[in-house]
Amino acid sequence: MSMEGEALAAMAAEAASPDFERIFRRHFERVARVLARVIGDPTRAEELAVEVFLKLWRAPQAQGERVGGWLYRAAVRKGLDELRRRTRRHRYGYMSGRDGGPPTPEEIHATNEQQEKVRRVLAAIPRREAELLLLHSHGLTYEELATALDLNPVSVGTLLSRARLTFRKEYVKRHGEQ
Amino acid sequence: MENNRQADVENWVSDQLAGLDPDEDWRPNVAQGLARFRGRSAKRNMGARWWVWAAAVAVASCLSILAIPGTRDLLGRLGEGSASRIVNIGQVWAASSTLREGKLAPDFSLKDADGKEIHLAAYKGKVVLLNFWATWCDGCKVEIPYLIDFDQKYRSKGLVVIGVSTDNGGWATVKPFLSQKGIHYRVVLGTDAIEKAYGLSAMPMTFLIDSKGRIDAMSVGIINKSASEAEILRLLGK
Repeated sequence: MSMEGEALAAMAAEAASPDFERIFRRHFERVARVLARVIGDPTRAEELAVEVFLKLWRAPQAQGERVGGWLYRAAVRKGLDELRRRTRRHRYGYMSGRDGGPPTPEEIHATNEQQEKVRRVLAAIPRREAELLLLHSHGLTYEELATALDLNPVSVGTLLSRARLTFRKEYVKRHGEQ
Repeated sequence: MENNRQADVENWVSDQLAGLDPDEDWRPNVAQGLARFRGRSAKRNMGARWWVWAAAVAVASCLSILAIPGTRDLLGRLGEGSASRIVNIGQVWAASSTLREGKLAPDFSLKDADGKEIHLAAYKGKVVLLNFWATWCDGCKVEIPYLIDFDQKYRSKGLVVIGVSTDNGGWATVKPFLSQKGIHYRVVLGTDAIEKAYGLSAMPMTFLIDSKGRIDAMSVGIINKSASEAEILRLLGK
């Protein structure tokens, strides 16, 4: 092993405590699924999930009882950032470590067109409203939504209704009535 | 009536979002995710420690030098001559805190192996592939042939490949390596300022800069050759 590799191996041993790795194992699958729902690409979702945990690792204050809510919110935000980057016509969001290279024509055709319509709308509406809709669709209660997004619990219902109307309006504007 | 409409919208939005669910058979790979996490968190640790030690050594060296009589006058005279370089370094530092895709690439001006000034801003209108590397970096050695290939194929079409060596041994170390590997693209010696401006955390690290001087893509680790080539072609075609 090179000097660089030995140094890295030594660092890895102290990179995350057993407690942190427990959190990782417990929540990784769910975080990756949340991301895959937002961005549609399971491979990329797993990569972004690692980034979410790196962010958590650097924020020890978030690693308490409410770590689940923190992770949901961080995953949704990460996913929305990725969607918005895509809509800026950055076709290859990353260059390293991906197998297979660019998508084939067959892979492109196989993409679910309806899912992509919904994702384009999510990327276009105000971010706070997109977060609210996605977190609610993952089963968070109004109280959990209020905690995750730092809202007054009393206002969550109204904000959700508004967010749905915004989503609907943007969808019809882009894709017509269904 | 209004309640019915609201209920319709609520149901419709729920249906749209439910349609985003990934394939039920897909299972995220927790073990692979944990291995990636360990690798990346270790690199961040090493990067942070490297800067702490480098900063400590630099401060200690400066304090020692300033203690020697007569050096302050000498440094003052040197500073006057290098004023323009200091301005460039200042600009590079200002850009570093917000560096990401879509942002302007921090400018720099460094000399290549022939003593020629390589100034990033002078390449506006061309596509630049900027690669941070070192002679001792195994991953860098894997991807150097890719960069040589890109340089050979696309230099005449507007691609500029620039390697930034972080070798402490300077040209004495780097020049023989360039001959041995057949590297003919531009190579400069990195400075603390450029490494900080580009957020160098591990190597190899690569940036694709478009013809307007904006960062199009950035990568830590060995680049995927075919994906990178496709992106270069897309930028050259704009």
